[in-house]
Amino acid sequence: MDEAVARYPSDHRRSAAMPLLHLWQEHFGFISEEAVLWIAGKLGLQPINILELVTFYPMFREQPPGKTHIRGCRTLSCAMAGGFELMENLCTTFGIQRPPDGDGMHNPITVSADGNYSVEFVECLASCHTAPVCMIGEQVHENVDPNSAANLVRNPQSAIRNPQLRSPPHSLEHRLIYKNIGRPDWTTEIDSYLRDGGYEQLKQALTMSRGDIVNKVKNSGLRGRGGAGFSCGLKWSFIKPDEKRPVYLICNADESEPGTFKDRYIIHEDPHQLLEGILISCYALNAHTAYIYIRGEFPEGAKILERAIEEAGAHNFLGKNILGSGFDVEVYVHRGAGAYICGEETGLIESLEGKRGYPRIKPPYFPAVLGLYMCPTIVNNVETLCHIKHIIAMGGAEYARLGRANNTGTRIVCVSGDVQRPGYFEIEVGAVTMGQLIYEMAGGLRPGRKLKAVIPGGSSAKVLRADEKFKLKHRQSDGSTIEREMSIDEIPMDFDSLTAAGSMAGSGGVMVLDDSRDMIWVLNNVNEFYAHESCGQCTPCREGSLWMKKITDRMLRGGGVVEDPKTLKTIGDNIAGRTICAFGEACAWPTQSFVEKFPEEFAARAQKPIPPPLPPEYTPEELIEEEEIPTTPLAHDPGWEKAGAQGTI
Amino acid sequence: MSEPSTPMFNVQIDGVWHQFPKGTRVIEACAQVGVFVPRYCYHKKLSSPGNCRMCLIEMGFPRLGADRKPELGADGKPIINWMPRPQISCAQDVSEGLAVRTNSPLVKECQRGVMEFLLINHPLDCPICDQAGECRLQEFSVDYGDSKSRFLENKVKKPKNVQIGPRVTLDDERCILCSRCIRFCQEIAHDDVLGFVDRGSYTVLTAHPGKRLENNYSLNTVDICPVGALTSTDFRFKMRVWFLKETKSICTSCATGCNTIIGSREDVIYRQTPRENDHVNSCWMCDFGRLNFNYLEAESRLLEPQIRSEGRLVAADWPVAIGQAALQLKQFAGPEIAIIASGRMTNEELWLTSQLAKSLGVQMIDIVPRRGPGDDILLSEDRNPNTNGARLILGSTSEPGAKLIAIAEAVKSGQIKALVMLKENAMHLGISVEQLAQLPVFIAMNVLSHEATERATVVLPACGFAEKRGSMINGKGRLQRLNRAVRPPGNACDDWEILRDLLQAIGGGDSLPSIEDVFRRISETVPQFAGLSSGDVGDLGVHILQIEELPPMHPSDEENIEQAVAIQARRRAVRSH
Repeated sequence: MDEAVARYPSDHRRSAAMPLLHLWQEHFGFISEEAVLWIAGKLGLQPINILELVTFYPMFREQPPGKTHIRGCRTLSCAMAGGFELMENLCTTFGIQRPPDGDGMHNPITVSADGNYSVEFVECLASCHTAPVCMIGEQVHENVDPNSAANLVRNPQSAIRNPQLRSPPHSLEHRLIYKNIGRPDWTTEIDSYLRDGGYEQLKQALTMSRGDIVNKVKNSGLRGRGGAGFSCGLKWSFIKPDEKRPVYLICNADESEPGTFKDRYIIHEDPHQLLEGILISCYALNAHTAYIYIRGEFPEGAKILERAIEEAGAHNFLGKNILGSGFDVEVYVHRGAGAYICGEETGLIESLEGKRGYPRIKPPYFPAVLGLYMCPTIVNNVETLCHIKHIIAMGGAEYARLGRANNTGTRIVCVSGDVQRPGYFEIEVGAVTMGQLIYEMAGGLRPGRKLKAVIPGGSSAKVLRADEKFKLKHRQSDGSTIEREMSIDEIPMDFDSLTAAGSMAGSGGVMVLDDSRDMIWVLNNVNEFYAHESCGQCTPCREGSLWMKKITDRMLRGGGVVEDPKTLKTIGDNIAGRTICAFGEACAWPTQSFVEKFPEEFAARAQKPIPPPLPPEYTPEELIEEEEIPTTPLAHDPGWEKAGAQGTI
Repeated sequence: MSEPSTPMFNVQIDGVWHQFPKGTRVIEACAQVGVFVPRYCYHKKLSSPGNCRMCLIEMGFPRLGADRKPELGADGKPIINWMPRPQISCAQDVSEGLAVRTNSPLVKECQRGVMEFLLINHPLDCPICDQAGECRLQEFSVDYGDSKSRFLENKVKKPKNVQIGPRVTLDDERCILCSRCIRFCQEIAHDDVLGFVDRGSYTVLTAHPGKRLENNYSLNTVDICPVGALTSTDFRFKMRVWFLKETKSICTSCATGCNTIIGSREDVIYRQTPRENDHVNSCWMCDFGRLNFNYLEAESRLLEPQIRSEGRLVAADWPVAIGQAALQLKQFAGPEIAIIASGRMTNEELWLTSQLAKSLGVQMIDIVPRRGPGDDILLSEDRNPNTNGARLILGSTSEPGAKLIAIAEAVKSGQIKALVMLKENAMHLGISVEQLAQLPVFIAMNVLSHEATERATVVLPACGFAEKRGSMINGKGRLQRLNRAVRPPGNACDDWEILRDLLQAIGGGDSLPSIEDVFRRISETVPQFAGLSSGDVGDLGVHILQIEELPPMHPSDEENIEQAVAIQARRRAVRSH
């Protein structure tokens, strides 16, 4: 535990709160009251500071789980592939009575009567192409057949590994980052990486000036692969070369946007590539400390990275005076604990400081000025940092020749949902169209099915309707632009085209929906994700995300009233652009776009008149006749009820 | 006023250009020119988390031409490039050329949206909520919200009626999660006990079960809570706030002299809340001072003047009691009389006391020091509100309290034949009940009866701090005013009038029809008051003592502070283990 504390500056011991909670939970199975007090004492904090964390991060449990704990993915791709049936079958097998979902609240874990098994629904486990997935203990199980769930738990060896790892890249792919993924002779060990010319770019970078590297990155035109698509070189240039305060680099490995699973394979299959990218970036930014903030649901990934750091340290690629350059750098792995909001860079920084992942207001807290520990900080996505290595190898200008103007390089696109061969595809940005991606690379839709809609950049991207016509500006060879009308299949997979089509490239998670899908069901699933993941800090998102979820949930259960589509849209309008962070848009855009693009489906589900507002008092239950509504449990902490009665807390 | 060197920025607010010094928050700049921007989480004395989103406004900057100079419009003013998204006004300082719109359709739409969101899960039971009447949610709902609700779902359930500390009650369903109370505890009270648990719409404000909100500043969280989530356990459901008469006054429980508002109705005090004064108490006051008013209604309250007749105290008229007191005192020569005055008396009362001593030729006069543990926030170690006033007006060369031992000894030895005890208890000086009973003359003026007053030959029922007017000088040398919020019960009389009548009955002094006349006398005789009238003191007081005039710290003070810090640290350590 002391080693975990020592990873953070001595005046920021609070950062060690989450690592200590992880260690405690690994050892004791759950976070007891004693744990809260002990950790607070250890770090010189108040017990409330720890209690705030335990209740914010869903991975921390306040009750003991069963001997085998199973986490089933609830989010869209898995739900479409049978995630709910899987959970149901697991519960039946183990005799577990799962309480109904509590409106997206902290999903309670439920333990079987004999204490042997416990189940929990969790949000996206970032393996959408192998849906449905679940985690048994710390082991991910992919492509689980919901009907043989019990079998799977009793014979854990039957876990199916991603089949794509055994097949060669598609001919339309251009593999740069993923060139080692799926190679038969490839391992995560450093020897494997070194045999392939690993860490040569680090050596090369250490001979270059910092300004040169930053310029190369600028010239490369690299845009962030995390979701916002912000220019990486520009971001880096916010750090003053003569900065007196320590500079921090944070690798954002909190991959949790539904539909995205690209970073998973970099981390799990090619950790040294990431590490080399981080080390080059550290040198370029003069950052002596880098943290890899990896999502809590990647326990194996964290171990692989720890091991890689150890190996790299043994080769003096990191540590003191690396490769005799006089440059010191340390890299640490910091595990998240199941909060999507910690993928937002300022939320991530707060989380890394040992607090609830509440995003900061900007201004004034721009990470490059007032980031981690109020020092200049650069937060880059895993894939972005890997590209740095290749930019050093190729040179900025050469790299910029990949892809299209302003949309340079390659990027990994993740396809999931209703296609025959879901998976990851590394493409030159813009060199492949949506149609090629879906029909050629991902094997097209299942027999007899037609494309209905595509969510092109992670579940927060606005949905594109298959029969829509998009007007996109097209650059001619003489430099002039003309507007061209195109179908969804013709949209090039790049940042600018998808933005022009009214959506975004986001994190590269393409979710395909066929004509069997009920759009209200889809939206409700997405809404539940955002209602569950809203940090609750600022009003519009905190209240709006749950409200939207409650409305779609009611519509789905037959209680839609005529005003619902309009209400949904205006709730979205009242959230987007008015929140502290981009989560506002992320949770509003699906609702806004689904309602706008599929008005007929929403209208069909919203037929009832608005109930009178006056007595007899109306309850939403009255609207829903189709099935009995389970009652919603109260706030999860049973201690509260006792508390009120006794007049104490 | 800002320093002359502070740069001024031109800022356009709702179409009108103004100038503000650098460092002014946009929300404050708007307020300065009379444009109110609604807010929940923002409090000018706390950090800005920007979480409520109520203060969203439109912002823009001048459009720059090719020469990097602002382009001017037809009116000769810069053309503004408006930002497409609304911005919060609570976290940003003004800058040159900044333009804001606080009443545009977009801003109104934002405000309506936020109000709707805040209300969907909030109980709509204002008639039974104690915050009604001073609830920002109510007020802004009227000003910025819609009258109709579109919410058809079940509200989120949260804990209610939680005793989050000994003096504060929490209703989590009413909480809008603005985090003011959390920031107050962290930033002002230095006692990080409150926090949020769970997340999203299910977020709940709470304290850790092992460490409650029990610091001496806990009730300030009630003041700054914009809604009915945190309420004072002492005050809640006692009185509707719109019935309260508000009287500006000061707290008299220690030398800090926090500015207050006394809320009363029909001569009953219901609560005391802090009143902003940046020279004294900012926006805060301690719980100890705030709740220290209930004694005014104690059973033991002295209601009638009394004189001792045949060994018993019997009620008397004021003229009789005053005449009797004067008569008794005049029997003795100055050296046979001692006066124990109080650091809780106002300057006016102390001046009259000094005149009384003068006309009786009394040398043995002093106040009783009153000390307790202080903190580095507001609570002073000196628990007398007017030690500095006594120091100036009683004109003693020694420190207040220095003569007390001698007075006590003189009473015990019988050298003192007449004792005047004003708002104090001589027994605290080690004088026994028997010794008091043997005094031929013992005049006691007090609010409550106690063992000592029962031995008096004349009892003069006086007023508490909220029942009288007058002025006091706080520990930092600031002259401030007390105002009468309620009338005294029974026949109790304002202290200064009792002392004036006694003075006149003894034959000293001329007519002093009003307390302002007494103040004028003080300003004529005490140099530090020179040129001041009681009107000059105003609601916020004036500084009249320079630092060099303030008493030196007790040699033990520094030690005490160190000790206090150590004790606090130990306590913290114990609690967190």
